[in-house]
Amino acid sequence: MLFGRDKKNPISIADKKVDKWTYSTCGYCSTGCSIEIGTNKEGKPVASRGVGGADVNRGKLCVKGIFEHEIFEAEGRGEKPLIRNSMHEGYEMEEWDPVLDKMAAEIKRIQTTYGRDSFAIVSTGQLLTEEFYTLGKLTRGVIGTNNYDGNTTLCMASAVSGYKRSFGSDGPPGCYEDFDHTDCLMAWGSNLPEQHPIIYWRMKEAQEKRDFPLIVVDPRVTMLAQNADIHLAVTPGTDVVLQNAMMHVILSEGLEDREYIEANTNGYEQLEKEVQKYDPASASKICGIDEDTIRMVARLYAKSNRAMSIWTMGINQSTHGSDGVVGINNLNLITGNIGKPGGTSLSITGQCNAMGTREWSSCSGLPGYRALEKAEDREEIAKFWGIDPEFFPKQRGMAQTDIFPAIETGEIKGLWLIATNPMTSMPNTARMRKTLEKLEFLVVQDSYADVETTEYAHVFLPAATWAEKEGVFTNTERRVNITRQVKQPHADCRSDLQIFNDVAKRFEQSKKIKFPEKPAQVFEEMKTLSKGRLCDISGMSHDLIEDKRGIQWPYTEKQKKKGERPVSGGNRLYTEPGTFRFADGMAKLIPLPFIDNNEVPDEHYPFWMNSGRLVEHFHTRTKTGKVGNNNKFSPVPFMEINPDAAHEMGIQHSTYVRVVSRRGDAVVLAMLTHRVPKNMVFIPFHYFDCVNRLTLGLLDPYSRQPAFKQCSVRIEVTDQEEAARLSKESRDY
Amino acid sequence: MHEVRSDEPKYAFLWDKETKQKNRYGEDIELATEGSELHGHSLNINGDEDIGDNPNRYKQHGFYFNADNCIGCHACESACSEKNDNPAHIAFRSVGYVEGGTYPDYQRLNISMACNHCDDPVCLTGCPTRAYTKFAEYGAVLQDPDICFGCGYCTWVCPYNAPQLDPIKGQVTKCNMCVDRLEVGLKPSCVAACLGNALDFGVVENIPEGHDQAITDIPGFPTPDITHPNIRFQQKRQSHREMTRTDSMPLKYHKDDAEGIYKPVVDEKAGKEKHWNFKKLLTSHESAHVIFTLATQATVGAFSLFMLGSIIDVPGMQLMQAYPVMMTFLVVLTAVCSVGLFKLNMHLGKPHRFYRGFNNLKLSPVSREIAGVSLFYGGLLGYVVLIALAMPLTDFIAGISGMVAVLSGVVGLYYMYRLYRIPARPFWDHGQTGTAFFGTMLSLGSLLTLLVAAVMLPLQGSEALVSALAMMMSLGLLIEGVGHVLHARDMKAADNEGGASYYRQTTQYGKSFWLRNGLLLLSYVLATTIVFTGLQGVAGYVMLAMLAVAMITAAVFSRSLFFVLVIPTTMPGAFFWKNEGFVEHARETGLADAPQHGVVYEQHHAFKVDEIVDTIKENSLQDIVEHAKGILGR
Repeated sequence: MLFGRDKKNPISIADKKVDKWTYSTCGYCSTGCSIEIGTNKEGKPVASRGVGGADVNRGKLCVKGIFEHEIFEAEGRGEKPLIRNSMHEGYEMEEWDPVLDKMAAEIKRIQTTYGRDSFAIVSTGQLLTEEFYTLGKLTRGVIGTNNYDGNTTLCMASAVSGYKRSFGSDGPPGCYEDFDHTDCLMAWGSNLPEQHPIIYWRMKEAQEKRDFPLIVVDPRVTMLAQNADIHLAVTPGTDVVLQNAMMHVILSEGLEDREYIEANTNGYEQLEKEVQKYDPASASKICGIDEDTIRMVARLYAKSNRAMSIWTMGINQSTHGSDGVVGINNLNLITGNIGKPGGTSLSITGQCNAMGTREWSSCSGLPGYRALEKAEDREEIAKFWGIDPEFFPKQRGMAQTDIFPAIETGEIKGLWLIATNPMTSMPNTARMRKTLEKLEFLVVQDSYADVETTEYAHVFLPAATWAEKEGVFTNTERRVNITRQVKQPHADCRSDLQIFNDVAKRFEQSKKIKFPEKPAQVFEEMKTLSKGRLCDISGMSHDLIEDKRGIQWPYTEKQKKKGERPVSGGNRLYTEPGTFRFADGMAKLIPLPFIDNNEVPDEHYPFWMNSGRLVEHFHTRTKTGKVGNNNKFSPVPFMEINPDAAHEMGIQHSTYVRVVSRRGDAVVLAMLTHRVPKNMVFIPFHYFDCVNRLTLGLLDPYSRQPAFKQCSVRIEVTDQEEAARLSKESRDY
Repeated sequence: MHEVRSDEPKYAFLWDKETKQKNRYGEDIELATEGSELHGHSLNINGDEDIGDNPNRYKQHGFYFNADNCIGCHACESACSEKNDNPAHIAFRSVGYVEGGTYPDYQRLNISMACNHCDDPVCLTGCPTRAYTKFAEYGAVLQDPDICFGCGYCTWVCPYNAPQLDPIKGQVTKCNMCVDRLEVGLKPSCVAACLGNALDFGVVENIPEGHDQAITDIPGFPTPDITHPNIRFQQKRQSHREMTRTDSMPLKYHKDDAEGIYKPVVDEKAGKEKHWNFKKLLTSHESAHVIFTLATQATVGAFSLFMLGSIIDVPGMQLMQAYPVMMTFLVVLTAVCSVGLFKLNMHLGKPHRFYRGFNNLKLSPVSREIAGVSLFYGGLLGYVVLIALAMPLTDFIAGISGMVAVLSGVVGLYYMYRLYRIPARPFWDHGQTGTAFFGTMLSLGSLLTLLVAAVMLPLQGSEALVSALAMMMSLGLLIEGVGHVLHARDMKAADNEGGASYYRQTTQYGKSFWLRNGLLLLSYVLATTIVFTGLQGVAGYVMLAMLAVAMITAAVFSRSLFFVLVIPTTMPGAFFWKNEGFVEHARETGLADAPQHGVVYEQHHAFKVDEIVDTIKENSLQDIVEHAKGILGR
């Protein structure tokens, strides 16, 4: 003591009395951070911490992960199955067996009455990979509907589609370690500090060791844009034009990597022909970036020894999402930047296991990146599962965003939603409400009973969440990491794996198929099926994964037998020439004509509306909305609006405004900031009954991903008291 | 000892190899030299008697914040709240921001701020309970919530908003520098969690690797002159000339080219329209202070006048000595003073710990105020009881008791004035606080006396007394009025938070402000008129009633304005978090009902008799004597 009281009490510092730390992988985004959850003597989760020795996060966690131990006991958790005959009745609590019996009977009734595909299943990116694989087996092998997809259509479908079109397969070729080698980083519609703060930190660490230029393409002055060496404030939805113009400069100035192009690609001539149309002067009129800057950036990117591009929803959530991804791939292929340390296309993925569902859920095909369209793939899987290959459809069915319109048209009569909340996440909420009302039977399976979609459900199945279960996730850089069980499922919740197995038992077809009970047994099946595939995980096991704090695929049985230990990071795809996944091993250079089909601002709706993420929230806030230490940073929805525009309309900072689009309206608090241009507003997408009441969500022709980020709105001043009341009512959970 | 994990990353460890001798203010960085009696003690964290082996254990540590790098990701504040198990509405560290420029040349400058473990911790010197200690170990300024009685004075004096008053628990808590981690060589949790490589920590004046700047000014950070905070900044990236705040505070920061630093200027966010704002003005949580200060000043004024009146021969004062008049007068004074003290005590977070208010007589003006006013109250009570007995001996003792009350009342009022002279609250840190308090003592003291006299005595025959009291009132009002004029002049011109207070005074509370001014002027005119005309007949009573209403209303408005208008030199907030405007909105609209919105309501706390009984049982007389000695001596 220097000065103060003479006699002091002991210093008291909070002691959570952690008795045991359990290893897990964070269940929020797809960065894939290793996390340990501390439980006290009573087994209650009380603390979270990042795992120091894990290559991904090296001891760090973001604001969401830091409080992840609080989600287990959060408000609104489901406790028991709920059931009702019709939407206008109240739910009744019921035991699992009768509810599952009823569910199976309804699925059978709908399929018998309207055909096999009239019952649809929409899943998620939130489950464990073993669960995805089991759900795929149940859907493709037992229930047999072809209208089965994941909500990953809302986030990564364009990346998947773009990878497939360019490289012949899904699977991001790069990894976080590329930051340590690159000489130029271009971020397309990706705001790492807000969306993937741990990846931002990895990037920052690399940049502090070896400074490299950062180019950010974003219409908003995000934190990343502000920190960029070059910020390209692009006109919404015109990234493809910018890409074509950059390639125009590269090709016309001879900056391309001829040798790489010849050894690795097809289609150069067509590409060259198309990009000739995009001279920087004309392109600048469309994309809003001046011609000199386009040339400068193109030269910088092409002349860098190693250049890489990352992207997120700024590219994916657009009517040119898939094209935008192909454009990035084109750019990297012509400059020889795929499969090299620091030279890559790296999509920064959204949900914790969006990658797992892409690899193993059979949503868009069959497990292990197999396609329904390929007879040999159908046969292989049918044989492995022990069913008739003819049971499989020969072509992929509807994507998530086509399933909902098919409910509108009456093609689909029943729906099973698993860990997804379309009432908040899908564009055009009004249309979604009408759609869901039309269903004869809706099952919502979720960890939270207060997920808004339960308003329209007939059955609610309470699922265990995240580390109440055990299994693996795959992250953005293809790292398979394990979630160990921290505690027993809450109340009467069951793991999704158990629910799938229990549903399967109720169908005759399942008698032919094995449905293992333990995640580790399911993992063994996946390992077998992965052999020789791009996503080969046959060398891994749950214990080895925990020991290595996650292993990037591929890690094969052969490697393991040779005694080759998995590397801690830096594993890449397509490192050898001509090893792309098309039959000839060549990647495709695809010409990208630009079609301007966005709903652009006009005199009636004069503002671009852009939406996006906040660091403290995850998706539709079913989790982070309940964690006070997350939610408090943005408890009610707000809208960034340029002060000059606001002043013209008499809108004051921190007052409510009504935002109106051709679909509907929303009430938000106006935040006046020069982060956005005068003709644009930005609203976070996390809030129920908010931004998606406004969005149009035109679909990308390849990926079927909605263009959440481009539509037009007008702003109206509104009665403050009424607006406050409306805003609060939508925040009751 | 805190657990150091086998895979603890390198960035989590402290890095100081060499340290400087003196900090930039000329203070020794080593706080206890080898062989000092302060060496070798356990910090006794949660009762653990081990002593840490940190080689820099006795050196002043501090945070280092690289403003160029902060991305506003909340990891630091969250890691802190996770470690300290804080509920959503409490945070030891918070991130706010200022912003500047126009699209696309826009800049947001995030500022992460916790306690700066200052060289001159004003929280420690201000705290009446001595809940604060500055440790020789790391120079940490730690606060003990078990001592605190929740008055919140530390939250008033701290320029950085570091101490956090919890309206639910009724106590203050704050950053503890993670001394448990420092003991084992680890940086504080917030620093280890930083994702922008913006926050660092070490022995003060040491600059982390890869950095070369250690400044003490960034836009939005209050002047370091007040407390010599142990924080150093880097900000090499230029900011715009004008940086604004997103929270409701009517302040922005303007670059002073001559000095090269940013100074606060008024930001007329809420326009220029004038409002009454009665509800917010008259029902704020600080209403307890309004009642307490007015009641105390009035009673000290009235009683002093009464006691001194007979000595210095104020004309007519002998009329007050008549037994029924005197007793009525004294009972009224006692009642008014009791109400004031009751309101003050019950606004504490832990009212049953009131006795701890004397603990810091050595340093805290609050303790001295409490001691002075308590002694006044005791003296007054003694006087009343003894006078009521009406015996010669008791009369003599009553006289002594009365004089003690007068003296301690004046001392109490002086410290009441001193305690509001807070450098971090420029609106208060002005002579006007003194003129208002002293003026009120005269005017309300005289009014109280006059009212009793008017009820108990016939107007006829009381002319001299009426005139003398009116003159005192007039003088008091004049002093207060002159103070207000000078204060308004200075605040209008102030290049600090005082200017922002003035802006609110003339807009948000503009009509109430002018009502106050008008009533004050009216009171002055009436009082001065009475000096010359006296009070006669019914008209006299009407005039007195008018004066009383005008003066009391003016006093309540005046003092309420004093409390609601003060703007501290706190850190810029964010759009929701640490935004006073959003806190008010959440309380008004009921968003504060849900704990996950991070806002709770102000509330009053029970007087826990059982806790005070336990304290009496647990402490022997000797303990109490020891404690008293500790307060007064050594």
